[in-house]
Amino acid sequence: MAEFHSPATVSQALADLGAEGAVALGGGTALMILVKSGLLEPERVVWLGRIPELRQITVRGDGALVIGAGVRLADLWRSPETVSRYAVLAEAASQVGNPRVQAVATLGGHLAHADPRQDLAPVLLVLGASLLAAGPAGTRSLPLAGFYTGFMSTALQAGEILTAVILPPPPPGCRAAYLRFTPGSASDYPTVGVAASLVVRDRQVVEAAVALGAGAAWPQLVPEAGRAMFGAPGQDAIAAAADAVAAAADPSHDQRGSAAYKRDMARLWTQRLLSRLLHGGDR
Amino acid sequence: MIVHFTLNGDPFEADVEALTVLLDLLRGRGMTGTKEGCGVGVCGACAVLVDGSPVSSCLMPVPCCGGADVWTAEGLARREPALVDAFLEHEALQCGACTPGQLVAAAALIADPAPAGDIRRYLAGNLCRCTGYAPIVAALEKSLPRAVERVPGEAGGGGSG
Repeated sequence: MAEFHSPATVSQALADLGAEGAVALGGGTALMILVKSGLLEPERVVWLGRIPELRQITVRGDGALVIGAGVRLADLWRSPETVSRYAVLAEAASQVGNPRVQAVATLGGHLAHADPRQDLAPVLLVLGASLLAAGPAGTRSLPLAGFYTGFMSTALQAGEILTAVILPPPPPGCRAAYLRFTPGSASDYPTVGVAASLVVRDRQVVEAAVALGAGAAWPQLVPEAGRAMFGAPGQDAIAAAADAVAAAADPSHDQRGSAAYKRDMARLWTQRLLSRLLHGGDR
Repeated sequence: MIVHFTLNGDPFEADVEALTVLLDLLRGRGMTGTKEGCGVGVCGACAVLVDGSPVSSCLMPVPCCGGADVWTAEGLARREPALVDAFLEHEALQCGACTPGQLVAAAALIADPAPAGDIRRYLAGNLCRCTGYAPIVAALEKSLPRAVERVPGEAGGGGSG
């Protein structure tokens, strides 16, 4: 019979997680499925839901947004700080799963679970997010772009937990959007999800990032797609960026579509996303 | 381990294992209004309210409910009679298996001052395999303003459109 621990501080959580067979529990929407299906048999469950410092959203002195890893998705998209600074993140978080998932699932769990279909990773990638991880050796910072190391694998070491997601202040002229394609239920995982951010100054795109979710073994930036959008991009540039995303896709065949279909959808939804960002009213 | 919380307004105590889920506890105690459907948080048949938020009880470890205010369909049927009436008036049920979860989601939506999206978007995570969605949405459309008036301090806050 597994032990249940509910530490009140990060340092106590790290001590509790030092035991063999210990796992960290956020909201349980991912972990409990692994447990119920027999894929995971923890000897100790360390619930992070009673740690106040992980539940805070704060604006740092330099304007960066610091989101505690234990912030639940429903609290993330309702937070005035998120809505006013990163509406794209708030909107994406309000579309994850269903209201029951959002009520308990945490941002840290969402990222650390590393399911490639998660919605918020591509959004955070184009926003330039970095992560704080705490472990037995101390606290370290790492870019989200280097966090995923394989299918459902991350750079977290044994005994480490995510403590925060840090978003740099949005540069002037930044517009970002995320589109998720769900041909079945709106509450399903996306067949593909694409995020992009553009920094536009004097009608010139001076910074651009495009990321793909659900289209490969892990969520990833597509640097070539970003590069295609620099300057004064027209339809050719959008097509080139969409082709780059399709080329970067390495989708699996499942009930949400064949690999070829998902690659086509990655191209199409990237086109739609970038057209909307350049010509529409999205953030 | 012993866990205490409030269930449908009354103090409740349970002796559970670390990863016993709330659904199994409730049904094991004879409260079978909460249904098991998919078992993976997708279908909404097992929805309950925990501290006012809808959650999938099939994925909710009981120890995470310590000190919480938990409401099931049984309790909500007593607490929200207007909602039940609206479901009956619109015949918003066919086989009934999803109905407790639909009622829980409806109660959560009514109490939510700023829900994401409209009624259909909010209820997208509550599956009805009889495909009786239209009367469910109609029941909620009719009951939202009326029910919202019953929530102190949140008049006009249904905000679903």
